[in-house]
Amino acid sequence: MEVFLQTLVAGILKGGLYSLIGIGMTLIMGVMGIINLAHGQLMMVAMYVTFVCFHYLGIDPYLALFISTPLLFLLGMVIQKYTLNPLMEVESLLPENQVLMTVGIGMVLTEIARFVFGSDYRSVKTSYSSSAFYLGEISFSVALTAAFFLAVAFTVFMFWFLRKTDIGRSIRAVGQDKDAASLMGVNPRRITIITFGIGAALVAVAGTLLMPLYYLFPDIGGPFTRKAFVITILGGLGSTVGAIFGGVTLGLAESFGATYIGMAYDDMIGLLIFLLVLLFLPGGFKRLTKI
Amino acid sequence: MKKCALILGCLLPLMGLVYSGAFGADGLKVGVILPLTGKLAKFGEIEKRSFILAVDEINASGGVNGKRIDLIIEDTTGKPDVGRSAIEKLISRDKVLMVGGGYSSSVTWAAVAVAQQRQVPFLVNTGSADRITEQDWEYIFRLNPPVSEYPKALGSFISEIGDVKTAVILHENTLFGQSGSKKFSKQCGDLGLKVVMEEGYEAGAVDFKPLLVKVKAKKPDFLYMISYVMDASLLMRQAKELNLNPRLFVGGAAGFTLPEFQKNAGDASDYVFSATLWTPSVPYPGAKAYYDKFAATYGCPTEYHGAEAYAAMYVMADALKRATSLTPKGLRDALATTDMMTAFGPVKFVAYDKKTQQNRLPTFLVQWLHGKLETVWPKDVATAKYVYPVPKWNER
Amino acid sequence: MTVKRILPLVLLFVLILFPLMVKDDYQQHLMILVLMWVVIGSGWNVIAGYTGQVSFGDAAFFGTGAYTAGLFAHKLGISAWWAMAFGGVMAMAVALPFGWICFRLRGAYFALATLALNEVMRHVATLWESLTDGMVGILIMQTFVSKVPYYYIALGLAAVSVLSIQMIMGSKWGYYFVSIREDQDAAESLGIDTHFYKMVSLNIAAFLTGMAGSLYMNYMGFIDPEVVFSLHDISIMAILVGIVGGVGTLYGPVVGAFVMVAVHEFFRTGFFGFFNTLAVLTGSDVVHVVAGYVMQAHVLGFGILVVVVILLLPNGIVGDWDKMMGTVSSVRKKGMAG
Repeated sequence: MEVFLQTLVAGILKGGLYSLIGIGMTLIMGVMGIINLAHGQLMMVAMYVTFVCFHYLGIDPYLALFISTPLLFLLGMVIQKYTLNPLMEVESLLPENQVLMTVGIGMVLTEIARFVFGSDYRSVKTSYSSSAFYLGEISFSVALTAAFFLAVAFTVFMFWFLRKTDIGRSIRAVGQDKDAASLMGVNPRRITIITFGIGAALVAVAGTLLMPLYYLFPDIGGPFTRKAFVITILGGLGSTVGAIFGGVTLGLAESFGATYIGMAYDDMIGLLIFLLVLLFLPGGFKRLTKI
Repeated sequence: MKKCALILGCLLPLMGLVYSGAFGADGLKVGVILPLTGKLAKFGEIEKRSFILAVDEINASGGVNGKRIDLIIEDTTGKPDVGRSAIEKLISRDKVLMVGGGYSSSVTWAAVAVAQQRQVPFLVNTGSADRITEQDWEYIFRLNPPVSEYPKALGSFISEIGDVKTAVILHENTLFGQSGSKKFSKQCGDLGLKVVMEEGYEAGAVDFKPLLVKVKAKKPDFLYMISYVMDASLLMRQAKELNLNPRLFVGGAAGFTLPEFQKNAGDASDYVFSATLWTPSVPYPGAKAYYDKFAATYGCPTEYHGAEAYAAMYVMADALKRATSLTPKGLRDALATTDMMTAFGPVKFVAYDKKTQQNRLPTFLVQWLHGKLETVWPKDVATAKYVYPVPKWNER
Repeated sequence: MTVKRILPLVLLFVLILFPLMVKDDYQQHLMILVLMWVVIGSGWNVIAGYTGQVSFGDAAFFGTGAYTAGLFAHKLGISAWWAMAFGGVMAMAVALPFGWICFRLRGAYFALATLALNEVMRHVATLWESLTDGMVGILIMQTFVSKVPYYYIALGLAAVSVLSIQMIMGSKWGYYFVSIREDQDAAESLGIDTHFYKMVSLNIAAFLTGMAGSLYMNYMGFIDPEVVFSLHDISIMAILVGIVGGVGTLYGPVVGAFVMVAVHEFFRTGFFGFFNTLAVLTGSDVVHVVAGYVMQAHVLGFGILVVVVILLLPNGIVGDWDKMMGTVSSVRKKGMAG
């Protein structure tokens, strides 16, 4: 029983963090219809920002959120404005040019990080990094639990933002039908720029929250990009609620897979779920929840 | 035809560039291939700096028979095919006399095959897959012990303490992890230990708790982990969070001895043992001096990979010095008769078991005690008394 | 005979003579890599460029081909050369069920499915230790010491793949492929069995890529799952070869392969030692430091190049040739006028 409960807790807590990574990706995918293969690399940039804040300026990672998030928001907007948007106008046979552009951007971000910080492993060691509290026999990592609740808070905020604000509504409108949205007076170009900024900011939150728990080196982005698109497909494009479901599902699948099948298989389990959802539930959980 | 001319016009300068080739002083050229970018760049960098440190010392003290050694370092990016491009370039363009480095087993493997075919001596200093020296390749030499011998010292330690009965082996799914775990579980059988669980994981995981929960349920006496540095520190941190208490935590040589491990794992690193090949406190002349010099020159600590590289440079210089002729054959014969002491230990290439031209070295057991890495086994070289059994987390 | 017809023949002729003119092993090695990428890029171009189903998982086929060859030699003791054709067939055996299931997906979804296939195959190869030896990898000894035989085999493979694609694209099939790319629904309504033709296209791609994989095994002599099922080094590189050269053009992958391999090596070796030469010649410390930075940042340079190419030449070098020439000549005219 202890094994089962501990696995459940580990899966859900990790899932919270995954959701946050997934929401950023799902917004970008929903609005622009492209896979952002630089998503994990954006997270890596946010993690370096957090590292610099902590290490050189002595700012606690949770306070560093107020620095990394706006910075990544700006970076996201710059990327969209100067590299992805220009591609929308040019005639090309395949729309996937934008995806490749994100691959290139990912490479550039990774290598800039290596150039500046070297390939060394970095970590942020706080007093709460490896502390835990216990409910019965089950241990809860303090930092991971905090990350989980902050992730939930951000998700609720995003949900409200997309439903109730003008910009949020415009984002959803562009996601549904770009042409119709522009007829309604929405500037799709501006919206895509803002969306990419928000997506980057959200993944920055995830990166900053992960920092006290994990470690950092320039190549860390790749695996998280992969997780992000799995979550996005599980949840359904553009769906915030879907991303939460997707994130938690992936977290649980990985945990239970690791406990009951074998840790070596945990990536593979995520991918198989991904393929199954792709085939039997195209559109993801969004189809079931309708939001 | 205009297009044709244009294409040719574009190609020619490029080809010209390709040809503008090797230049430089008439020093003795030695090639080194290392991963300077990519995931392994950190270790490649340490080795590169150690090679440079050694070659600068050698050149400063008069070089080899009055000639300076020119080190040509190529980046493999940690990939076998690029490693192959790099060694091809070193051999055919730069005409190096011998090659060293390689770092990871896969790159080393791909590169030594080229060296053997082209008959250029290659001194392996880090690639630890057993097979590298099991091919009867007369141009390939290896300075470091193969992976199967890393936990040699551990065996005698376990027989000494006696009351360890069950073991769990966790390993990363890499060449190093997979082959190391297989060899170790066999060794456990010889020692009379029961392996109750043996499991791999994909390096770079965020959360090891599900795995460790399973370990906890098995209640082993002894937990053996083959992990690189950051997985290692996460494993220990999460073992602490889960209050997982075997009598003995031991790391395979890869990650548990690096300063980063201690920095990242913090107090969770205390009392962790690790099998290792080298620490600054090993009883070899020059080991401590090398460590101090590295730290003074580059402002950061070095570790056993660096010591391997540093020693390899001296071994190559020694072979260059003794060689009757500066031909591949002459250098090979010189390397084969190497018998010297280095900062990494005595070097002599011998044949044993299925291996040929393999250096045999003792291994050590170290333990983190109060934030310091102390050599604890074998007893005659120990710098501190080992602490066993490891105190329980809540009793520290 | 127009220039367009002569040019490929000239190119082939030059390539046949290449090893006779250039004896340097290192350059021959690079050319073998180029030819291998021509095959992979051409395969990708069939499914992505002509048929419009972008694959992010070419490494799945490449790795299958490589492992087929490796296992032939390693487990069965049969020469890995026999696996050249068989590697292609095995890759098709992966492509068939995958395509059959996943071709109901469209656009980005299909691309993601291929990405997942890539990763699944890598994990299978890592975990199925009893068959593949896992991460230990497979080593076989190369058949030839000289590079020339490999070169001609690679050249033959490249020439055959380009020629066969030319033939296919000139046939009925080719038109079907393009019609699927242009508008799948319209193609369907005209009675084209789009699912079937997408499968045909994918299998052609898989076959070629699998053969290239077998060639890689034979030539490199060493594979492990991280190398041949690499998302970044195989799958993405295949796309870059296609995109940089020119999507949906016959010679795009040829040009793309040459450019990508050359550029990669160019950056990796610090412009072929140019900076180091400069540093030694001028004896200046500043140049030396700059040289160090350039060498360190070679992947950065490569990444920036990718971004710039996609930004400025979205249809690749072959696809945007006229545009490029237009820019060049207009610049020249301006220069003359000024």
